[in-house]
Amino acid sequence: MHPDLSVEISGLSLTTPLIAASGTFGYGTEYRDVVDYSALGAIVVKGLYLNPRPGCPPPRIWETPSGMLNAIGLQEIGVARFIEEKLPELRGLGPAILVNICGSTLEEYGELARILNDVEGVSGIEINISCPNVKEGGILFGCDPDLAARVTEIVRAGTRLPVIPKLSPNVTDIAAVARRVESAGADALSLINTIPAMAIDVETRRPRLANVVGGLSGPAIRPIAVRLVYQTAQAVKIPVIGMGGIATAADALEFIIAGARAVQIGTMNFVDPSVWSRTLAGLEDYCRRHRLSSISELTGTLRAEGAMPSGW
Amino acid sequence: MKRDERAVLVERRALSPDAQLLFFESPTLSTSFLPGQFTMLRAQGEGLLLRRPYSICSAEPDKSRFSLLVKVVGQGTRALAELPLGEDVYCLGPLGTFFQPPAEGRQAIIVAGGVGIAPFLCFCESLAQQGMIAQVLLGGRRAHDLYLKDDFLRLGMEVACATEDGSHGHRGVVTDLLPELLDRFERAQLYSCGPSGMLRRVAEMAAQRDVPHQVSIERRMGCGMGCCLGCVVFTRRPEEAEAEGEYRRACTEGPVFEAEEILWERDPYPL
Repeated sequence: MHPDLSVEISGLSLTTPLIAASGTFGYGTEYRDVVDYSALGAIVVKGLYLNPRPGCPPPRIWETPSGMLNAIGLQEIGVARFIEEKLPELRGLGPAILVNICGSTLEEYGELARILNDVEGVSGIEINISCPNVKEGGILFGCDPDLAARVTEIVRAGTRLPVIPKLSPNVTDIAAVARRVESAGADALSLINTIPAMAIDVETRRPRLANVVGGLSGPAIRPIAVRLVYQTAQAVKIPVIGMGGIATAADALEFIIAGARAVQIGTMNFVDPSVWSRTLAGLEDYCRRHRLSSISELTGTLRAEGAMPSGW
Repeated sequence: MKRDERAVLVERRALSPDAQLLFFESPTLSTSFLPGQFTMLRAQGEGLLLRRPYSICSAEPDKSRFSLLVKVVGQGTRALAELPLGEDVYCLGPLGTFFQPPAEGRQAIIVAGGVGIAPFLCFCESLAQQGMIAQVLLGGRRAHDLYLKDDFLRLGMEVACATEDGSHGHRGVVTDLLPELLDRFERAQLYSCGPSGMLRRVAEMAAQRDVPHQVSIERRMGCGMGCCLGCVVFTRRPEEAEAEGEYRRACTEGPVFEAEEILWERDPYPL
């Protein structure tokens, strides 16, 4: 028996539940030599605005215990160049293509949605309302439930494609934000974006990042992400895509059991490009051992009746 | 083609109290790279996450061996320096751009500071194979920071040294030695790798005398594959003279850049 590892997210059929996270997989083709693309259900390309942006000055990254701190500031090439120069090569690679969009204004989000609606090969739109490293847009929209809902409505009005707002962990009540964007027309939600964080060189008393504050990713943030995915999945009916430091099949399974239909992998792809095939094999093995005919049966099946403290 | 390959540590050679040359055996990396390219090594050790970039220092393709120069500067380099013989690490590579050999009739002059010497051993191996002799200027704080001097001499290169404490060669910085060489060789091709301040001084001298200059830039990197955009350098290419310039990736458009492309005043790294 081959367990079914495909998943469906609001009309979007993915061959596997593993998705490359925005900002960690470039414009999709960079990892061709070293990643088994057949293990990926989808790729979310680097966040795009209407126009190119230079990004933050370096240093842009720093390592913390089991974590990566970054302030890239959305250096990107603009949506037109993406469509013209990057998309043709990406289309043939297999995974579904999701485009992450960012705007400095509400109108910019709407314009991007309209542009992408008619582009061949684009299967969905992830709305970036949670980048911690840009001054306008980004996290400002994601931390205010009203603004998050308005961005979602505007994108929704501009496209027939599935619309997936990417939520920030930097809120007091994730369920409230999730419910608002669901009512505003979101087809699914993805979370979490990086957690605002910083590090300091004590000898010089200078920040490690030129931007002073950045976003933390990697295994360091995983338990926080699992909790937020759990709370979000409890609050909404639309599918949830979970992410935050996934390095193994067991990590991915935590998110799925907490309520995720699919998961994204980001930082750990930098560390080990074999994470995709390893994780997928692990999911298949888990389905066999637990006699699941489909990975989707596992979504949101946390048994909250008692805790399991063994294996410390 | 890039690969993520298992490499076994087979030999280590101490170069100084805090630096060593590590020799790895792996199936294809030793034969597939060009001088100046680098590899991302999977970090070893508690709480360490990101891979670390290292220039390929030398290669022995017949033995499937290559070497990396490792100086202990933090947790990641310490873990690698303490890796037991026979242990393996994953090496992603070959990555990035490489040194172009000097144009016909140009004398290669190499300026290296500290561990900046790393990419030049294999480069000089290839120059030697083509019957070329490079002028190699090595700089460091003390005599023991002048790594691999004898290896360059053995390849037939001409080596001159500078130390800040005067313990070997010229007392001062390595760039003090450059004007005389540039006087001697009217048609030269400069190569440099080392601390930011040194690179910048070499670039100024090269620009004054209109000497072509290839520079290998060291940056902290997250992926080495062009995706994280963590390793950027501010550049403006000659054909972009009208534009402001843009951040380019040291892992993909570099690490070897034409020095004239780099806008040093926009480089935040300390002199």
